[in-house]
Amino acid sequence: MSSSRKVVELFYDVVSPYSWLGFEVLCRYRNVWNIELRLRPSLLGGVMKESGNRPPAMVPNKAVYMQSDLNRLAKYFSVPVCFPENPFEVMFEKGSLNAMRFLTAVSEKETSGDVMLERVSREIWKRIWSNDQDITLPESLSEAGLKAGLSATEVEELLQLYKSQPVKDRLKHTTEEAVNFALSFHILVTLQELVFLRFASSFVSGEKWLGPQPDKPTAKM
Amino acid sequence: MSSSRKVVELFYDVVSPYSWLGFEVLCRYRNVWNIELRLRPSLLGGVMKESGNRPPAMVPNKAVYMQSDLNRLAKYFSVPVCFPENPFEVMFEKGSLNAMRFLTAVSEKETSGDVMLERVSREIWKRIWSNDQDITLPESLSEAGLKAGLSATEVEELLQLYKSQPVKDRLKHTTEEAVKHMAFGFPLTVCHVDGKAEAFFGSDRFELLAHCIGEKWLGPQPDKPTAKM
Repeated sequence: MSSSRKVVELFYDVVSPYSWLGFEVLCRYRNVWNIELRLRPSLLGGVMKESGNRPPAMVPNKAVYMQSDLNRLAKYFSVPVCFPENPFEVMFEKGSLNAMRFLTAVSEKETSGDVMLERVSREIWKRIWSNDQDITLPESLSEAGLKAGLSATEVEELLQLYKSQPVKDRLKHTTEEAVNFALSFHILVTLQELVFLRFASSFVSGEKWLGPQPDKPTAKM
Repeated sequence: MSSSRKVVELFYDVVSPYSWLGFEVLCRYRNVWNIELRLRPSLLGGVMKESGNRPPAMVPNKAVYMQSDLNRLAKYFSVPVCFPENPFEVMFEKGSLNAMRFLTAVSEKETSGDVMLERVSREIWKRIWSNDQDITLPESLSEAGLKAGLSATEVEELLQLYKSQPVKDRLKHTTEEAVKHMAFGFPLTVCHVDGKAEAFFGSDRFELLAHCIGEKWLGPQPDKPTAKM
């Protein structure tokens, strides 16, 4: 029992490139800091709606800034974020609903820990935010799952499960938790902006920010 | 001549608490990094309008987040940011137009460098974002100026100057420069490296900014602190 471990929950949506950065950095730190990292796949669209916020890309100057900001952050954090040809279509027309349901199903089926959730999340991010590939169709999610190390049978089961009501409800519930966290003081990483972890680390008492790639990297890209 | 010094421009408005953080950190680093820091008092309202953005506090969850975020950042950066009793009134009803005109006038009257601009900016920030004091009235700006070390005569002159058309125009012009750098909020830090302008929004990109200008981030209080609070 590790009573001094701090629980760190990451609410994320694959449609968000900044989430990918936060995800990779926290994954690298999960065996460096004394934390228990809990991945919480959620719907950014739901959070935007509930909070009355708008996606940053809706403000033209923010869209321009995001491109150069993400290019610089991608290099600095060694995460291969690359803008798709048609970001508007990718983010707002196609979105990530099926992908997040699929990830919720992956999470449901894991028996212990979240190794698969981490891997499949990463493969989906690589598709949408590195290789400009689809993430909405069953074939796309299947490819991601197989690349992450799931068997063909497991992928089949997930493609049955992800459209089920319990999975839809669970995703909705996780999203509601994210919305409610605005009113509490847990350590969390906001969906749309990267909270630089040297701030978070000072509140995970005794922990130190060791830069984008700490001594013991756990995420293999 | 220091040909290798990187020019770093800070576009800021005292109505913005995050700007205060960026301001203090960059002031601490001005003698640590090989930079020439240029303070650019501007109008956040103008940038919001031109960019079609909305102040974060208009989104309720952002307003809640800002409070806890700024409390944590204040401690971490040792900058005494403290929310006023009525933030909505302070930020949106009263605003900072007179204060930014006053700072523009301070900048106009400096003969070399920006020592006074730095000090008076700090005193105004302490009023609005630490002590919950007014920054709109002449008496308020006068108090800030005197606290910063201006003489009574200098304050008098500034109170004549700050409502003049040239000062209004200069503030407008500086704000337009920020907009040209695609600003949508403050603080906006523009680093000029190898003839290229790299813009950084907010007060959470210092490590990345350092990396981009070939310097090292040494934390909120580098070895040679220059700002005395």
